[in-house]
Amino acid sequence: MTTATRLPPVLLGAVVLHTAVFPQLRIFGVAADVLLLLAIAAGLTSGADRGAALGFGAGLLADSFLQTPFGLSALAYSLVAYAVGAFGSTILHTGRWIPMLTAFVASAGGVVLFAVLGLVLGQEHLVSLRLAAVAAMVGVLNALLSPLALRITRWALVTHPVSGPVLR
Amino acid sequence: MALSRRGGRSRLTLVFLILTSITVITLDFRGEGAGLISSLRDGAADTLAPVRSAAASVLDPVGDALAGVTGYGDLEEENAALRARVAELEGSGLRGEAAQEELAEARRLLELDVAGDTPRVNARVVSTPVSNFEQTVELDQGGDDGVAVGMPVVSGAGLVGRVVGVSGSRSTVRLVTDPASAVGVRLTRSSEVAVASGEGPGVALSLDFVDAEADVDILELVVTDGLDGSAFPPDIPVGRVTMAEAAPGELQRRVEVLPVADLAQLRLVSVLLTPTR
Repeated sequence: MTTATRLPPVLLGAVVLHTAVFPQLRIFGVAADVLLLLAIAAGLTSGADRGAALGFGAGLLADSFLQTPFGLSALAYSLVAYAVGAFGSTILHTGRWIPMLTAFVASAGGVVLFAVLGLVLGQEHLVSLRLAAVAAMVGVLNALLSPLALRITRWALVTHPVSGPVLR
Repeated sequence: MALSRRGGRSRLTLVFLILTSITVITLDFRGEGAGLISSLRDGAADTLAPVRSAAASVLDPVGDALAGVTGYGDLEEENAALRARVAELEGSGLRGEAAQEELAEARRLLELDVAGDTPRVNARVVSTPVSNFEQTVELDQGGDDGVAVGMPVVSGAGLVGRVVGVSGSRSTVRLVTDPASAVGVRLTRSSEVAVASGEGPGVALSLDFVDAEADVDILELVVTDGLDGSAFPPDIPVGRVTMAEAAPGELQRRVEVLPVADLAQLRLVSVLLTPTR
């Protein structure tokens, strides 16, 4: 099986989780952002190039269910996945906490980036006092889900975990 | 050398994706890709509608339990406030009488036909918002049933929101509490006209443009103004004033309004089939 056959069902599953399951399971009124997590996991497991591409696709899927400008999530997710991929190639892939911490920071950053880009595009309501709480909560929820997301993404993108330091 | 080439290709990919995103956003803004983009959105909404409905009905009790656990502090505060209110009313015969009147009015409001004989489509709320930023719900009636973007949505108690997206079999409603929502309103006793803006989930609406000298009562009913250009018919109950303060030197009074419709527990609503612009 190749990426072309593995990725579509993973994307479909992520969309179902993102739109149907996790919105029903809100903690403090906030739901995990599964499609953003998928983009981050792709950046961590496959690097900046593929991460950004998958982030763009995942973002377009997310935009299909939102009233915000179409392409806004795609832009935010691809930038976050690229940054994670670039950052991921400079760190040691040892221990479980580094990817989880990365997922937390990147998810929270992704939420803030989405809101700020939205603000630039005239969506003033996205930036409010609640933004920090939403970003932190999405970061926590996505970090908790990240070990599973990393395994699935690694399988879907047919990559192998990096066992040592990667040269810049 | 190889790594440098890979880095260059990555940056090229990123630049390409950024430019593509900006192009898509621009097309959406200018309405030039409206057909394709709305087809994509409609297709996505209709395709996943059964899955989302099924997930909502299965996970609803779990979601309610989670909301109960994580909202325990709010419930405690609400409980304390209600206890204080009960104690206050019990302490005075006159106040007790006022509470009876308040209760009777609340009952009348619940039975009130909020939009007269305006043609309507009744709909069931089938899923909650996908986003952490938008206060929207999805209804099981769409364009095939006569629903169009811009139509007001009401519950038995009052205004719920406005339709912002429609596919063949579904529609998306932006609730009045959404920070992007603004409704032209009138205070029934003082006849002040204002704009009620959403402030987020579980937070009272704020009224803009209320004169600092205006005489606003707590619990005063706020209804849609129905002025020319308004998206809503007149006299639909929106909420009740819960706070009205005027700071010295300010030109506007700070007024908060609690929606009369229970937006956290919406099940059945009506879409008013009013002409849309």
